[in-house]
Amino acid sequence: MAKPIPTLRYDQISTGDEAPVLSHKLDRNDLVAYAGASGDFNPMHSNEIAAQQAGLPSVFGHGMFSMGLLARALTDWAGVGNLTEYRVRFTKQTWPGEELTTSIVVTGKEDAADGKRVQVEVTLTNQDGESKLAGSATVIAA
Amino acid sequence: MAVDTKDVIGQPTGAATIHIERGPVSKFARAVTDRNPVYQNFEAARAAGFDNIPAPPTFTFAAAFWGTFPEDQPEDPTGGKGSPVRDLIAGLMAKGGLMLHGEQEFIYHKPVEAGATLHQEGKIVDLYTKEAKGKTMTFLITENVFKDDAGEPVVTERFNLIHRS
Repeated sequence: MAKPIPTLRYDQISTGDEAPVLSHKLDRNDLVAYAGASGDFNPMHSNEIAAQQAGLPSVFGHGMFSMGLLARALTDWAGVGNLTEYRVRFTKQTWPGEELTTSIVVTGKEDAADGKRVQVEVTLTNQDGESKLAGSATVIAA
Repeated sequence: MAVDTKDVIGQPTGAATIHIERGPVSKFARAVTDRNPVYQNFEAARAAGFDNIPAPPTFTFAAAFWGTFPEDQPEDPTGGKGSPVRDLIAGLMAKGGLMLHGEQEFIYHKPVEAGATLHQEGKIVDLYTKEAKGKTMTFLITENVFKDDAGEPVVTERFNLIHRS
């Protein structure tokens, strides 16, 4: 039975703490790679001609790519396998060329009978501060 | 289109037996820019407390694409009619408007690892409309529960589609 090892120490975590920030410049290769890895071949993500014919400036990023990028920031911080809940609202589309930056801020913690947990607020924004994703997650601490 | 919610809520959207394999898991991790060695290297996964290569947090969303094979699929809970979501989307889009993936939620009960077989069941859990700024927003929420061979939940996903017209 797998026992993923938490990297966070419960007694060293306080409300307002921030996880390390991760930035990624989105490019068209990311869209192609995510289409292939996920099976989401919606042409609005992978076919520039079709996207422009539909009136869009270009292809745009998969929302689930953004959610996966933000998940990486969560697991880099708390350890892979130490998420218990993760939810987001997709607030804006992402576009090739945008610099996407994560924010993970501790909003609370709980030492429950079945384990120690830390709640966080998560966002992904572009270089102008425009929010792309906003949500919350709960991670396990030791 | 008038949507009768009580006819729809609780209806099954589908079921699948899904095999979690190392190759797809490792490549999915790279596709979301995650170079963590636990997704690539068995020894790194063992050192992080896993029995096998783990799946990244959002992998189950794509798992059916990779791991659904014809020989061991469960009986179709829709009785061959297919997911009612397809008809709902077609009905909403018939009057135009925009369909968006509005929200996504994962609840993790146990780690997902390569070598596992997951048993997925989907259903519609909510359907409602809101009026805002002269537009009608329709919210359709489906839930996928992935269970292990012992019947214990591994991951619960909730998918929120929004139609605006």
